[in-house]
Amino acid sequence: MPVVTITARAPRITSLHVFCAVLVLAILARPLITEAASAPALRTAATVFVAVCVQALPFLVFGVLLSGVIAAFVSPAALRRMLPAHPGAAVPVAGAAGLVLPGCECASVPVARRLIGQGVPDAAALTFLLAAPAVNPIVLVATAVAFPGEPRMVLARFLGSLATACVMGWLWQRAGRAEWIADRARRGTPRRDGENRWAVLAETARHDLVSAGGFLVLGAVAAAALSVLVPPEWMDALAGQLLLAIVVMAVLAVVLALCSEADAFVAASLSMLPLLPRLVFLVVGPAVDVKLIALQAGTFGRAFAARFAPATFVVAILCACAAGALVL
Amino acid sequence: MRRETQHVLLVLLGGALLRIAADDTHLRYVKPSHRWLLLAAGAVIVALAVVALVRDLRGHAPADDHDHGGSHVPWLLLAPVLVIALVAPPALGADSVNRAGARNAVVQDGDVFPPLPADPVLTVAEFVQRAAWDTSGSLDGREVTLTGFAVRRGAAVELARLTIACCAADARPNRVRLVGDLGDPPQDTWLRVRGSVQTGSATAATGYVPAMTVAAVEVVDAPPDPYEY
Repeated sequence: MPVVTITARAPRITSLHVFCAVLVLAILARPLITEAASAPALRTAATVFVAVCVQALPFLVFGVLLSGVIAAFVSPAALRRMLPAHPGAAVPVAGAAGLVLPGCECASVPVARRLIGQGVPDAAALTFLLAAPAVNPIVLVATAVAFPGEPRMVLARFLGSLATACVMGWLWQRAGRAEWIADRARRGTPRRDGENRWAVLAETARHDLVSAGGFLVLGAVAAAALSVLVPPEWMDALAGQLLLAIVVMAVLAVVLALCSEADAFVAASLSMLPLLPRLVFLVVGPAVDVKLIALQAGTFGRAFAARFAPATFVVAILCACAAGALVL
Repeated sequence: MRRETQHVLLVLLGGALLRIAADDTHLRYVKPSHRWLLLAAGAVIVALAVVALVRDLRGHAPADDHDHGGSHVPWLLLAPVLVIALVAPPALGADSVNRAGARNAVVQDGDVFPPLPADPVLTVAEFVQRAAWDTSGSLDGREVTLTGFAVRRGAAVELARLTIACCAADARPNRVRLVGDLGDPPQDTWLRVRGSVQTGSATAATGYVPAMTVAAVEVVDAPPDPYEY
């Protein structure tokens, strides 16, 4: 009998125990960690890592709060009334809605997920996901400030990004499959009768923050590592080669994972390149980068990210080139 | 990850944001105006965790918590907390400048600049701008004061400062080649130098890095805001 009691009361190791163990270990090993982090390259990477996390977290918090507000206060029926019934027409409306969410790309992922959970057509929600970080007023003003004397750059960026968002929306509507998006993203908020709406808001926001935050950190790790690994000589070798410059700038936009409010300043500083590759950098960056891919994989599932990210990459390059040919 | 672990993690994460926004630490990573966003975000994160904790204790925990056992990704949120608490990496410095290649990344935003005041103190970025583009020659023959950190390029010493738009990930260096009797400042030493530009030294051929003839140099403490904006 006593034996049974002992097994029944044997302590289970839970994540809280592991958590405390990790903390204690980290504090004990602090001298070792500081020693290891004193190499210049590692220190630079650590600074960039913290900078990307610290820069993006407030916008992610803003996004999850908005997601909570939608879950608690906006019913699926009200959302359906706001959008045109025909999904093809809903896509450009969703793209235009991106104009009014002033934030970085991190804010738009949880919001797009919540829109899908509340029954908005996938194509429209994905268009919003791509348009919101790229065409909002803050980003456009930042672009105008970064490119003094080149106002056409602002128009080209606006057209290229809006076109990318709408084309991806229509593409998803024609070729996308509902099952590519993980079930967990579709789950609406279970609303129990009589439950306080503020409690729904808080729980939705908390849940979204925990699930998306880890992926944001993953993206920040990738961006920090690549920021010390990408050789700067790439830039100097590109000056005379337009096609190669376009491809390299598109890849750089993905690996550097800059905030959409800041990328224009970096693009402006690469003055050895012509305007078109820099426009590609500005259109690709807010649509697809390593931290967005990580966030999307975590929110919508890996099957989604594996298809959506490469398709967006190609569409964004093509739309940017078209907008550049038209405007620049 | 269990709910209570998530709550503790969120309190630590929000606490880390509040901690770096409480003093000048956040200036190593983001621009000064970002401080208010950090304070707000930190407060919201802590509040969300506390609300959930209180509701759980009162028995309101959602019955269908579908994340149980599934994902280990939330653990990654511990990484920024630990890096901030244990390492608190310094602002970007000479290593980052050297990684950016040998050129100054300059954007021309004018070709006539307003005249300098008496005894001018300039940012490194403005000095480079004027040296590279100003056709009115406002820098010529004028002694100006610059503050930045030392970057060693072989035997040469450069004075550099990074400019950020949002956060340290988008930092762009501006540098000035120092000519004269400087002593032997190690890399990343903060210097205040007084000197005058060598006219015509910031051209495409030199990568828009102007040269400065130094009249006086002193070692100073690192400023609280290490970047220019």
